[in-house]
Amino acid sequence: MGGLGLFFCLGLFIVSCRVLIHFQSAEVIGDLLARHLLSMIFLTFFSLLIFSHIITALSNLYISKDLELCHSTPVVLEEVFISRAVYTLMDSSWMLIIFGLPIFMAYAYVYGAGPGFYFTLLHMSLSMAMIAGGIGILITMVLVYVFPAHRTRDIIMLLSVVMLVGLYFLFRFLRPERLVDPDAYFTIMQYMSALKMPQSPYIPTQWISDTLWAVLTGKGGEDYLFYIMLTWTTAGAIAVISVWVARAIYFEGFSKSQEAKKRRAGGKRALDLLVELIKKPFGVDLGAIIAKDIRTFFRDNTQWSQLLLLGALVVVYVYNFSVLPLDKSPIRLDFLQNELAFLNMGLAGFVLAAVSARFVFPAVSAEGEAYWIVRSSPLRLKRYLWGKYLFFLAPMLILAEVLIIGTNYMLEVTRFMMFLSSITMFFMVFGILALGIGFGALYPNFKYENIAQVATGFGGVLYMIVSSIFIGAVIVLEAGPVYILFMANLRGNTISLFQWLFIIVSFSAVLVINITAIFKPIKMGLKALREYE
Amino acid sequence: MIKLINLTKVYRGLRAVDGINLEIEKGHIFGFLGPNGAGKTTTIKMMAGVLSPTEGQIIINDMDLVKDPSGVKQCVGFIPDRPFVYEKLAGKEFLRFIAGLYHLDHTASLNHRISELLELFELGQWGEELIESYSHGMKQRLVMCAALLHEPEVLIVDEPMVGLDPKGARLVKNIFKDQAVKGTTVFMSTHSLDVAAEVCDEIAIIQGGHIIARGTAAALRRQAGVGGNLEQIFLKLTEGKGLANARPLSSH
Repeated sequence: MGGLGLFFCLGLFIVSCRVLIHFQSAEVIGDLLARHLLSMIFLTFFSLLIFSHIITALSNLYISKDLELCHSTPVVLEEVFISRAVYTLMDSSWMLIIFGLPIFMAYAYVYGAGPGFYFTLLHMSLSMAMIAGGIGILITMVLVYVFPAHRTRDIIMLLSVVMLVGLYFLFRFLRPERLVDPDAYFTIMQYMSALKMPQSPYIPTQWISDTLWAVLTGKGGEDYLFYIMLTWTTAGAIAVISVWVARAIYFEGFSKSQEAKKRRAGGKRALDLLVELIKKPFGVDLGAIIAKDIRTFFRDNTQWSQLLLLGALVVVYVYNFSVLPLDKSPIRLDFLQNELAFLNMGLAGFVLAAVSARFVFPAVSAEGEAYWIVRSSPLRLKRYLWGKYLFFLAPMLILAEVLIIGTNYMLEVTRFMMFLSSITMFFMVFGILALGIGFGALYPNFKYENIAQVATGFGGVLYMIVSSIFIGAVIVLEAGPVYILFMANLRGNTISLFQWLFIIVSFSAVLVINITAIFKPIKMGLKALREYE
Repeated sequence: MIKLINLTKVYRGLRAVDGINLEIEKGHIFGFLGPNGAGKTTTIKMMAGVLSPTEGQIIINDMDLVKDPSGVKQCVGFIPDRPFVYEKLAGKEFLRFIAGLYHLDHTASLNHRISELLELFELGQWGEELIESYSHGMKQRLVMCAALLHEPEVLIVDEPMVGLDPKGARLVKNIFKDQAVKGTTVFMSTHSLDVAAEVCDEIAIIQGGHIIARGTAAALRRQAGVGGNLEQIFLKLTEGKGLANARPLSSH
């Protein structure tokens, strides 16, 4: 498994290197693009870190079962808070380090960085995590303090809206479409000055990326010592302010969150109708599991609120394609459209894998400590796992086809590419879903305190890596034959026997990979669940 | 009827349950006693199909649990020591969910049975409330409703009195006795020697994964060679003399 992680990091490193080398080949603007990309990466990581800290802090500071014991001991409040905050910082940041490291190493490799870069990267990343963590924890403390405990639904709702608005602003802020469209500017000077322009001098990620860029290239940031001090003093200030705020409001918020909840099942009639409609085709026992899952999903604020994020993800994804300036590209339009259609398959597959990581991967763990009920019931585990699989199949297929057909329509791809993309995505969903259910059963976490955290554990990360490899393998295997078919069609050539053989072998390999991805993970998950103790 | 044949469970080299052989008649209440870590819960979890045995057989109603798990589980009701349930369901919804798992049809008779059980366990007014608002004892009683819902022929119970108030405990003891009269076999582990003495037809004492004594309270008394109550017999058989002679801690 460690090897798999290493393989993924290596892949990310190679892709990042290629992008940076490609940038370098463009004179004048190459470095500007690389620098702009660096600040975009930091801004994205920073936003993700803040949101991740909000979710984790809610668990670690208010919901964790061991908190009652912690608060009943003579340990002073600030110490309890600091220890939980540090734990939250580590808990929320480790995954970004894994994803970020290969990218930063690619910068170091391409630009031939010295030891100073690594040292600066290390301490600036730490300061960034501290600032993002502090902001996330402060937001959580204020929200829990302001809202009564029985209104956690409102808190999560607010968090989701904040996240949506944040995503929107982040996206509009970066204006990625303008980077690939120099014609949008009157002159090349304007284009360059747009690239040079910092996103905002008040955002810490700008200080961090400017500092790293200066250390990396030895130019473009005379003020970097000032930025280092600015970043660290901000991190220190946020840490101190967090402790002050904790002293004032943390315990009261914690106390509120312990108040007993007593409420009737809300929206019962609508939920009953929905449940009856969906569970019908599944039989009595699986129907019971599905009815329970739907009710729990819509009553658990941490779960249904994720649907809003899913909506945002789809909107941003489709929006990307609507603003692509295809007609201004120097590459032949039909060629570019088909290349993009391929890239689109990969991206859509990745989006589906991410959605599956959030909703499908935790499906088994969602039983929680009540898993004994399923285990001691007459329901066979095999039927249970395939039932969960079938439950997610229809919504995932619809999502996949909406994503791929909608974006391909905007790309105005050929009929052949539209057909190939739709069919590929259709079958890929079966594999992505089975990997989600299988890995979820292979690495179950029945003792979670917040279900949103299940996907961010080791098993969830591993699932993302394996499903990315699966998607990549399918697309790479299809790319060769499609190129042959496309070129033959374009030039009116006939396809040789060897080429037909290559096409057949490639598509057969895709079929084999798909079938393996469907049955193998579920089989492994089933074995793991049977042996779970 | 329950039959355990050479039942063994090994956890990372530790024999938590070591070759247990037991046979329990239909309609009996069987008490399973033992000190902490003796192997009671492991045995019970294997019998409920939650854990797989390393060796041996579990035969319930002439069916082998390993060979026909669904068949065995269909006629067993399980009550674990800790009542973990789906907190976001209402009490009635939870019982309907259990009914589905046991293939009980959603008919008027099921609704009647659910209401009857909720009333029996004094949860009638709580059926529409989310379980997250229940106390520990209420959750424990709800799990008991769930275990009895499909009218099991065998009831496997782990520490039934934990978290119950005296009224609840009395209710549960009476229900177990009623079930046994109706022909249900009850296999119950407990720390409460009073409960064992009061309701069990037969008792086994497990220590270090082995059954060290088995029989009625009178037979155990003879085997231990001591008079008095079940506590003294238990301490003698498990050699807990240190505990018998324990003194309170001196205060400062």
